[in-house]
Amino acid sequence: MAPTLPSGDQASDQDNWDNGRLARKRQLLTEIVLRNRLTALVVDGDTTCRVLEQLLLRSYGVQTQGVDNGRDAVALIASGVKFNLIIIDMILPVLNGLEATRQIRDMGVHCKMLGVTACSGESERQAFLAAGVDVFIEKPLDPEHLVPILRELDGQ
Amino acid sequence: MESKHVHQQIAAMRQSFFDEEVLDEFFSQLEQLEDQNNPNFVEEVFTMYFRDSTTLLETVEQAMKTISITFAKMDKILHQLKGSSASVGAKKVLNEINKTRQVLEKGNLEGTKAGIWEMRKEYESLKAKLEPYFQLKQANSVPQEK
Repeated sequence: MAPTLPSGDQASDQDNWDNGRLARKRQLLTEIVLRNRLTALVVDGDTTCRVLEQLLLRSYGVQTQGVDNGRDAVALIASGVKFNLIIIDMILPVLNGLEATRQIRDMGVHCKMLGVTACSGESERQAFLAAGVDVFIEKPLDPEHLVPILRELDGQ
Repeated sequence: MESKHVHQQIAAMRQSFFDEEVLDEFFSQLEQLEDQNNPNFVEEVFTMYFRDSTTLLETVEQAMKTISITFAKMDKILHQLKGSSASVGAKKVLNEINKTRQVLEKGNLEGTKAGIWEMRKEYESLKAKLEPYFQLKQANSVPQEK
């Protein structure tokens, strides 16, 4: 149930816009069917974030694997495991997200990489993009950002 | 009749979380991920969030008591709290984290202490509101409102 409009008075334009946006988000969450089996690696040191991101991806039928630090992410990729999508946080234990991203790209990995981080500054955004992520998303990862990317990867 | 009353009570509790801006739309996103195979998913997520966040908050509060405080380390913990709080839709907690990080960035120690106290207050308030809500939901097996 979406947050309701104020009772009695005419709904404001802002309320209408907010409710419309929520309705579109709910549509995005349900209206996607992937033709191909996509795989994703989620790299996040925080359990709550990692589990939620994996579950969100799985709700769309994406097969996921999760690691909680940058070193394990690099090692997994170096072992030859391939993914259609890598979701990586900037601040990670052991090996940070910037360096992990650079190392993954240096291996010649060209898959889509999303930098999903609680960092919100422009300098962080530029740094993450320069390291090699394709898209910078401030947490939390939401369907509005994710669905178009999944569709693109699915060739829709 | 009694069951309908309880369901109305649960719905009213849920609506109050949004009205009071304790939770934001990302809580609704979590609810969308709940289904018949995983009916207590949201509660499980919050159990995980509260478990990890309690540890992080305690670490930060302990750090404030030591003579030499590593601001960078504190900011790292607050950053992690920010990410997980944003992900579960804990709006008021998130607001206090953001305010505290801004104060910490300016090197204001006393301000940071006050900010952490406010964070703890909102965090405990969130727990106090959600725990009875989840208990009531589970006891009455409420199908998720979408």
